[in-house]
Amino acid sequence: MEDGDRLHVVTADHISDQRRRLGKTLVWGSAALMALIFVLQTLDGIGTLTIGFENWRPSLYAYLFWSTCLCVSQVLIRGEHGKRTLFVLPAALFVISMVVFPLLFGLVIAFSDWNLSSPDGRQFNGIDNLRQMAGDPFYWNAMRNMVWYTAAIVVEYAIAFGLALLLNGQIRARKFFRVAFLLPLMLSPVAVSWMIGKSMLEIRFGPISRFMRYIASEPSADLPAPLFWIGSYISDIGQWLGWASPSFFGSAGIARAMIMMMDAWTFIPFMMIMILAGLQAIPRELFEAAEVDGASKWRQFWEVTFPLMLPVSITAILIRIIFKLKLADIIINITSGGPGGATDSVTSFIFREYRDRSNVGYGTLLAIVYLVVIVIAMTILMKLADRWMKPRY
Amino acid sequence: MSAQIFKDSDTDRKFRPVWYLSRGLIYGVLILWAIVCLFPIFWTATTAFKTAPDVMQGNIIPWIDFTPNWLGWRSLGLSPDTIGNESTVREEFLKRFWNSTVVSVTASLFAVVLGSCAAYGLSRFSYKFGFMRNSDISFFFLSQLILPPVVLALPFLVLYKSLDLLDTRIGLIFLYTLTVLPIVIWIMRDQFSSIPTELEEAALVDGLSIWGAFSTIVMPIALPGMVAAFILSLVLTWNEYFFAALLTSSAAKTLPVMVASQTGSQGISWWSMAALSFAAIVPLIIIGIILERYIIKGMAAGAVK
Amino acid sequence: MKVEMYKAIMAAQMSRRNMLKGAASVGAIAAVGGAGALTAPKVANAGGHGDVRAQILQIPGVGMGSPTDADWQRVGELCLGPVRENVAEGEFEGVELTFLGLNNQNLHNFLFRGFLKPWEAYTGAKINWIDLAQADYNPRLQQAIATGTVDFDIIEMGAPFEGDTAGKGLLDEMPEWVKDQIEADDLVGYLQPPVGTWDGKTYRITIDGDCHTFCYRKDYFGDGAIGGAEVPRTWQQVNQVTKDLVGKTDPMTGLPAHGYLDPLKGWGGFGFYFIANRAAAYAKHPNDPAWLFDPDTMAPRVNNPAWVQAIQDVMDLIETPGAYPADQINADPGTTGFQQFLAGTGSMLMWWGDIGSNARTSDTSVVGDVVGFGINPGSDRVYNSQTGQWEDTYNEAPNMAYLGWGIYVTKNVQGDDLKRKAAWSAAAHLGGKDISLWMSAYPSGFQPYRNSHFQYDEWEAAGYDRDYVEDYLGSNADSYNHPNAAIEPRIPGIFQYYSVAEDELAKGFAGQYGSAQETADAIAAAWEGITDQIGRDTQISLYRASLGL
Repeated sequence: MEDGDRLHVVTADHISDQRRRLGKTLVWGSAALMALIFVLQTLDGIGTLTIGFENWRPSLYAYLFWSTCLCVSQVLIRGEHGKRTLFVLPAALFVISMVVFPLLFGLVIAFSDWNLSSPDGRQFNGIDNLRQMAGDPFYWNAMRNMVWYTAAIVVEYAIAFGLALLLNGQIRARKFFRVAFLLPLMLSPVAVSWMIGKSMLEIRFGPISRFMRYIASEPSADLPAPLFWIGSYISDIGQWLGWASPSFFGSAGIARAMIMMMDAWTFIPFMMIMILAGLQAIPRELFEAAEVDGASKWRQFWEVTFPLMLPVSITAILIRIIFKLKLADIIINITSGGPGGATDSVTSFIFREYRDRSNVGYGTLLAIVYLVVIVIAMTILMKLADRWMKPRY
Repeated sequence: MSAQIFKDSDTDRKFRPVWYLSRGLIYGVLILWAIVCLFPIFWTATTAFKTAPDVMQGNIIPWIDFTPNWLGWRSLGLSPDTIGNESTVREEFLKRFWNSTVVSVTASLFAVVLGSCAAYGLSRFSYKFGFMRNSDISFFFLSQLILPPVVLALPFLVLYKSLDLLDTRIGLIFLYTLTVLPIVIWIMRDQFSSIPTELEEAALVDGLSIWGAFSTIVMPIALPGMVAAFILSLVLTWNEYFFAALLTSSAAKTLPVMVASQTGSQGISWWSMAALSFAAIVPLIIIGIILERYIIKGMAAGAVK
Repeated sequence: MKVEMYKAIMAAQMSRRNMLKGAASVGAIAAVGGAGALTAPKVANAGGHGDVRAQILQIPGVGMGSPTDADWQRVGELCLGPVRENVAEGEFEGVELTFLGLNNQNLHNFLFRGFLKPWEAYTGAKINWIDLAQADYNPRLQQAIATGTVDFDIIEMGAPFEGDTAGKGLLDEMPEWVKDQIEADDLVGYLQPPVGTWDGKTYRITIDGDCHTFCYRKDYFGDGAIGGAEVPRTWQQVNQVTKDLVGKTDPMTGLPAHGYLDPLKGWGGFGFYFIANRAAAYAKHPNDPAWLFDPDTMAPRVNNPAWVQAIQDVMDLIETPGAYPADQINADPGTTGFQQFLAGTGSMLMWWGDIGSNARTSDTSVVGDVVGFGINPGSDRVYNSQTGQWEDTYNEAPNMAYLGWGIYVTKNVQGDDLKRKAAWSAAAHLGGKDISLWMSAYPSGFQPYRNSHFQYDEWEAAGYDRDYVEDYLGSNADSYNHPNAAIEPRIPGIFQYYSVAEDELAKGFAGQYGSAQETADAIAAAWEGITDQIGRDTQISLYRASLGL
């Protein structure tokens, strides 16, 4: 893809010098206007001039005007090539304008000592925050937890793949199952954490703990002998699993697993539909050919389905990783990172520092470091993925 | 959908018992997972009709375990006996519901339009903006998805304050567009890559401009993908909580903030919580049911070639 | 339980005539309550007030379940009297106000909206509402202050935030006429100035009085009961009883019995109050108003032997299998109060007074008939920070946790007299004498805070039984008027201290630190960091001022 356009267009643009000049005038003229307004507003802001701007909207409008002129001039100056640029340019301008200022300001905050309650406001403190971070065992603990959480994606992927295969098979009520399997994706994390994490997992009366206790309880003696025998066997297993007195958030391992499960519950449908969509796109002839060759279902899967599904799987997993790295809502609402930081994700950890303690400077630094780590990790992952997916292109 | 992948081959028919066993297993797993998916929703829906003793006892099945009650809906002013009266809570709920609808739909539409164009460009042409080539541009867009919201929180507060965009729907729409744009671009890029370029080439030869070809030929083919991207964006923006709590106060407030704040210092009235949660997820459930086939058609249609 | 109570009330429902008679007598026999230290309530306007007061207490009636929006609107309508005296009908036509408050399930802003609906109709003003979840409240407020985005005219705020707002000059001073309208001298002693004032100016319309009181299950204690004959009076006894209850069965639910319920998980800073309950008895020496910090240096006292003992007490119970219900490590105070205690799990609890009014009137409660109240348990010994020695004398110190919510008006209204008057009128309506009675009797999120709330006859007439209400209100009154009450400092960023303490405690309880001492040291270190960040000198002077030094 890098070595040329996929869509080859023969263009025979005759762009007159006049038109080119008009284009350039538009860009530079509007840029000058934007700069002028910006300077005026800055001067007004610091009090050198008194024009009395109420807000920075004029600069915003000037920016919008400049963006429009830039887009128009692309076509004016470069004709057909400009029209191509026009596909990407609006989105790029939008993202840049929305992100650049906040990100720069975020960087400034990250290297400041800023507690919102402090009467002195924000003060630069160099790399003090970095030093503090290095000595903050619970930040690194949260980072470690993220590795666990991310690793859980493998299991989610396996389940999603299995479900997608089932849905793609020859089954009745396919529509029902597909809709049912999709629904968890639609729910808000806030509602999930309350209705599932707090209500369903309630220790005394929640349906899940009641079910577990029921399993672990001794079967009624009135039952016929074989049923009784099975029942007591099941109850032995239940008791061995500790289901007689269920505890969901008491120990570190179980609490982390519960968070993983709830998060998986909402996002398995996402991977599932991506894989299902991929499965449906596999040409049937391939399977027929494999069948003619006498390949077993098992071999068909490993030699036809899975390799074909590799690209979509990688895409699904990558997107899933990104969502997973932002995991926070459920943790904040249900465990607040407890017990003892065992379920803390980096984001939920930062939230407490940032929101509960208004320690904005340090919190932002943690977030930026996290961002850098993610960007590096994702770049490596995507380069690897690109190599794997190469045959596609 | 019509693709029958697991066909009954002759070898299968020879082993009927095995076939039945595998069918049973397949349906067993399907039903089990359907329960896993649906029970929490069922739980939410029924809890909205419970009273305190029902919640305490963990009753499950309406009419058998407990008698449905309008308590939860009454607290929202949405039960049959309060629906006719003036209710400050209902006003609040409806206002937020409307804001949520406007913000999420507009932001998703905006993101799909911007994102589709960008994705089309990225899938068809090679760009060079300075040192940035296509893959870098793609990664640039994608990286917005990675940004932890905490980094942006305070800067956005300051930025929006100076632009007078605090507590406005348009401000929220911009922000939400930003957050879902990457995912739209990702989905749509795969979509467009799967559409053969010959179609457009033919159209271009016939004299259409590139934008003409895009809008009349490519877009209709990519529509399922756009619907999928739209729905996904809708889900993400509809449920967004962090920035909504930060950047809105009274004019543009949205529903998730109301759901979250059901949980305060005075314990939880599960029935109200459930009623509100349920009212908040119903629109998405309906959309999921109606547009489900587009989602699957649209997602990663270009993944396999 | 509920049904029977409901029937009893319906059977005994008074005719309007009887009610008036009962109300009229309220004035006559006011202040007969158990708390002798109370001053006589103001009985001016007893006739007019009494009518309204008896009437609103019947909305919807004890045992009728939680009130709804229609009830709030009716109460608001009935209590408009004082507003009418100061404001002409339609006077605020065209005025728009913005109100920031907590959006708590059916409480706080939900109530205010209902209460102010008739006010809006009468005055012609319009109120826009900003609702915040409890967890968002502090960060949102701090961010608004720090970035200059204070976009609200009226704010519902807790006293601990006065350092952050009044200290930065963001509030509007209360006009004289408001003081008269709300009858401010009716407030209980500890809420009188200096609380509610800053630098000698009054900013706050109190709508809540806060303290933690001890709640226990009466069916656990008494002759032959599983918890022993006596209700524990000290924390040492509380711990012993809790350990002894392991393995016994709850007389009401038939499930395992539990003793004291410590919340082991944080709650956006509010969880700290619960360890402070235990610590207050050990650390709040009668001769020393300070107990959180050293008033000269701001050196934290949280790692002194008294606090370490409190943390150690909790750790002891964690070590005892079965002392706490399962998953207690994930239980925040909301869980211990509402999902455990009111739902019949556990037998002892410290909480705000909400538990008392909720025990009888909330839909969630099953313990209404068997709950008793007292003040914060004491201790056999008390630590003297000055001498660094334990003293073997009995000590008790009720924890005035949070000092209650108030309504404040921000300086946004300055410069527009009509708007200013409207804002204060709305605020005063919510802080009115009669409406507050209703708020303290029904689930509202607010506790009794006026002397006039302790007229037990009114409560009896509303359908509470006398013993219960004397017990419940008495525990509040005794705490409010206790000479050794532990009052929290109103210094900027106080919730940051609480929040970090909560986090470190949670880690300690989960075994991340070696001992109670190490946990306490970690908290102290974090507190020192916050003090330095905010500014030690200003913190010292504000801390001393809030202690009256």
